[in-house]
Amino acid sequence: MSQLSMNNTAARTILVCCGTGCQANGSMAVYQAFRRELADSPGTQVHTYTKSTGCNGWCEKGPLVKILPDEITYCRVKSEDVPEIIASLRYGTVMERLLYRDPVTKQVYRSHRDTNFYKKQRKVALRNIGEIDPANIQDYLDRDGYNALRKALTMPPAQVIEEVLQSGLRGRGGGGFPTGLKWKACAAVERTPRYVICNGDEGDPGAFMDRSIMEGDPHSVLEGMIICAHAIGASAGFIYVRDEYDLAVHHLSRAVEDARKHGFLGKNILGSDLSFDIEIVRGGGAFVCGEETALIASIEGNPGEPRDKYIFPTEKGLWGQPTVINNVETWANVPVIINRGAAEFASIGTTGSKGTKVFSLVGKVVNTGLVEVPMGTTLREIIYDIGEGIQKGRKFKAVQTGGPSGGCIPEDLLDLEVDFDSLTAAGSMMGSGGLIVMDDRTCMVEVARYYVNFLAGESCGKCVPCREGISLLLETLTRICEGKGRLEDLDLLESVSATLQQAALCALGRTAPNPVLSTLKYFRDEYLAHIVDHRCPAGICKELTEFYIDPELCTGCGRCRRKCPANAVAGEKKQAHVIDPSRCIKCGECINNCNFQAVKVK
Amino acid sequence: MAGDIRQAAALQEMEQIIAQYPAERRYILAIMQDLQKKFNYLPKEGLQMTARHVNAPMSTVYSMATFYKAFSLVPKGRVNFKVCDGTACHIKGSQTIINEIYQCLGIKPGETTPDGEFSLETVNCLGACAIAPVLVANQKVYAKVTPAAVREIIKEHGGQINEPAVNE
Amino acid sequence: MRIKIDGIEIDVTSGETILEAARRAGIHIPTLCYHEAFGGQGICRMCIVEVKEGNRTRLVASCTYPVNGEIEVKTSTPEIERIRRNIVMLLYRRAPNSEFMKRLYEEYGRPADITPADPEESCIMCRLCVRACEKVGSHAISAVLRGTEKRISTPYDEPSPDCIGCCACAQVCPTGTIKVSTMPGKYEIWNKAFEMDRCESCGRPFVPPVILEHVRSKLGPEFTEEHLCPDCRKKKTGKIMADSHMSK
Ligand SMILES: Cc1cc2nc3c(=O)[nH]c(=O)nc-3n(C[C@H](O)[C@H](O)[C@H](O)COP(=O)(O)O)c2cc1C
Ligand code: SF4
Ligand code: SF4
Ligand code: FES
Ligand code: FES
Ligand code: FES
Repeated sequence: MSQLSMNNTAARTILVCCGTGCQANGSMAVYQAFRRELADSPGTQVHTYTKSTGCNGWCEKGPLVKILPDEITYCRVKSEDVPEIIASLRYGTVMERLLYRDPVTKQVYRSHRDTNFYKKQRKVALRNIGEIDPANIQDYLDRDGYNALRKALTMPPAQVIEEVLQSGLRGRGGGGFPTGLKWKACAAVERTPRYVICNGDEGDPGAFMDRSIMEGDPHSVLEGMIICAHAIGASAGFIYVRDEYDLAVHHLSRAVEDARKHGFLGKNILGSDLSFDIEIVRGGGAFVCGEETALIASIEGNPGEPRDKYIFPTEKGLWGQPTVINNVETWANVPVIINRGAAEFASIGTTGSKGTKVFSLVGKVVNTGLVEVPMGTTLREIIYDIGEGIQKGRKFKAVQTGGPSGGCIPEDLLDLEVDFDSLTAAGSMMGSGGLIVMDDRTCMVEVARYYVNFLAGESCGKCVPCREGISLLLETLTRICEGKGRLEDLDLLESVSATLQQAALCALGRTAPNPVLSTLKYFRDEYLAHIVDHRCPAGICKELTEFYIDPELCTGCGRCRRKCPANAVAGEKKQAHVIDPSRCIKCGECINNCNFQAVKVK
Repeated sequence: MAGDIRQAAALQEMEQIIAQYPAERRYILAIMQDLQKKFNYLPKEGLQMTARHVNAPMSTVYSMATFYKAFSLVPKGRVNFKVCDGTACHIKGSQTIINEIYQCLGIKPGETTPDGEFSLETVNCLGACAIAPVLVANQKVYAKVTPAAVREIIKEHGGQINEPAVNE
Repeated sequence: MRIKIDGIEIDVTSGETILEAARRAGIHIPTLCYHEAFGGQGICRMCIVEVKEGNRTRLVASCTYPVNGEIEVKTSTPEIERIRRNIVMLLYRRAPNSEFMKRLYEEYGRPADITPADPEESCIMCRLCVRACEKVGSHAISAVLRGTEKRISTPYDEPSPDCIGCCACAQVCPTGTIKVSTMPGKYEIWNKAFEMDRCESCGRPFVPPVILEHVRSKLGPEFTEEHLCPDCRKKKTGKIMADSHMSK
């Protein structure tokens, strides 16, 4: 134990991260250990209060335990560590072995806030997450909660809309449509009832920011929706939550109940004319239900098939009534805008995109997790400063943004300042904010195939271009990955992609070719390597891969030999090893595990 | 006889679940969620009762039951493995986990072991990408799963594995 | 309200679709999932047209696009023709096994040399059958599953208690996919057997008149005027639909 001393009699709050990531790493046991230990030893001189919080965005280092007001963050805490942590509180010491240690510089960080991962972040949408107990409304109230609602209720509806408009807030669900304009359009339609919907379907594989908000700060979403209800005159709201998100459903339901008890939902909210309530709808497990017309169909009790959007939901939405649909993160930004004013919000970000954006930084990057940065931060800053570069010192190849509708961005565009417009111009999309980092062990043709395969199962299957076009794209890409590709296939991919973009019914189909077109644009050489040279440079497509060991680089450590499940590697200790291609099953265990980059792809 | 009684009890349970919801079409999804949770699949009788209750055609209810991934028309195993094949998990090797489960239990995604103990499905992103690859066994989430960990997880849930020849 | 389609000025009522307006003016737009009795579905996307509204030009499905202001429409451009060719190619790849699709594929100049996925398949998933069944009030069939697996069936592929054996689905099907098999005094559709009368055209036994009467009352006169058996009906509707594509 180090001697960084601290005041050992002050009341402490122990925050145990109980987001999904930390729970998977065993944080519930840690939380329970704290409660048990503290209950068992009432005589401790420490006044503590233990809380479970939502995701801190650093799940990779979880379970995380934070101690306030000392600002200590412990990583990878096990329940066995708990008695020692409590003892350290009593003696006023810090347990150095549980602090985060930078693997390269070996520097030790007392608080997560000082690490590279957190330093460049700016928390707006995630302002409360990790700081509050999401199941306790008092925590939210203590941090300015529902003050924005109080303020909004004193403003005429049109002024609330104007404020949102002036803030420059654009929808965080992918499209980037100006939120104020959407509200204004809906409010202008004469018919009632009007509805408010929160889109919590978050289907992008590789993104989890909405989950984290719904789990970690559900009241911020409710508050945003209630403010909108006042602004557009809505009487009912729905939160459509993705089926897999149990904890989110749990916390949201609790939040709705508590909000009713406090008079934030129900009849005559806070004594005003506004009467509004919220219902939670569990999705059935369909990516396409994130598309707003499909989502509406789903709430109405139908298969989630989109319809043509020549008339917007703001005019004809749920049950044919005027409806505003916004994304979870969009809603979470609304109270901030009302509280601090449009101007302050608009001072963050770029000309076209205001505020911050939450990204889920995942894949082959050193620091994975949720990061919130001002719009306009470059990809390089996110991946290299916050993410601290590529795992195992491998080479960066591409970063995929925007999920299945997005594209792969190559190294020479890393200085791109990220906002809605710059990503679209690069042939990708903001999407909901997934950033998946890929290294030289990722095959770009296989990545395109992966997304198209995903969409083959997730398309609703209604319109011809999408259903049949994706089927043909998948067949063609599979053929290329299996080494049976032809040069004409590239033309076919491009022609079918164009038809999808122009003619598909909904945005799922219209953006489905993006992963194909962006990889064709930036990584055409990989397609050609597959088709012409019959090799997969990343060593992923089994039919086109042959591994060998470079005798110059091999130290004969034998790691690959031990890892190989097919007994295909042979060699004496400290001698160069050899792979027997006839036994090799191309699983890649050798190349993944070699610490000397000696295993190569032919 | 025992089977008949069980069947009658099951029908009664279905009725109870369905009766909790107003007779409106928009509750079909919620009713099916509850049925799925209770029975581990959607029994045909349950869907028929749902259709009658909300006054919707059986063909619509069946369309929905087959459209949404959360539902299954055949019983899933006692232990249901969901292997995440979202992008983050995919590029971190979810395929090797699926292969390992096949090696150990002989089931592929969408299949159930003949004894009804284990079933396997793939899902798209569980929202825990930072700890990829992820596997969920019933409700429990496992982080950074490796082929070796798969064997432990199967054992933890009472499964038998034929140990393959160790290679060294 | 006045709009221009291919240079011709047409009066439309607000909310009327471009396709309806065009048809009224005798302008042909190819369709595969449209039937007057059911309205636009937006499924096949063959009916795509170019709409100019102010300075903005975009492609829309004419069968679902409601006219709400001054627009100029082009029903054919090189881009649109490319899309239609690709749609025909994609559908032929999926379902080559009908006279209807074969003719269409030839008509569009055999776009791309493609190997059909399943040579036996004939359903193009236009869902006209589902709409017909809905309209007669039976709701016996629907589109099930999703994505590339989507298909038309009764629940569990079993005989449906809701099916009344009217064969409206088989009659509207452009590709003859829905099989009505006849046995002495009986016929079977969607695996369900019914007693029958005789066809006016070929004399073969056919659907009971009560049922036909019901269908006619639901679907309107343009649907069924003759007392035809499924085979004769199929030939006829297939011919009408195919002719409408040829006449362009
Ligand atoms: C295939 C598809 C999937 C989508 N998935 C989501 C989603 O998971 N969450 C979301 O908020 N928006 C999603 N969207 C965007 C929504 O349709 C809609 O634009 C958004 O919810 C509007 O809210 P916003 O303006 O606040 O972004 C998706 C769109 C498409 C086409
Ligand atoms: S024959 Fe049966 S399935 Fe076909 S339209 Fe009539 S009722 Fe529907
Ligand atoms: S069976 Fe016929 S009418 Fe029904 S969807 Fe298929 S092609 Fe269309
Ligand atoms: S769940 Fe704890 S940091 Fe994400
Ligand atoms: S991709 Fe597997 S949890 Fe997100
Ligand atoms: S006729 Fe318009 S989409 Fe089929």
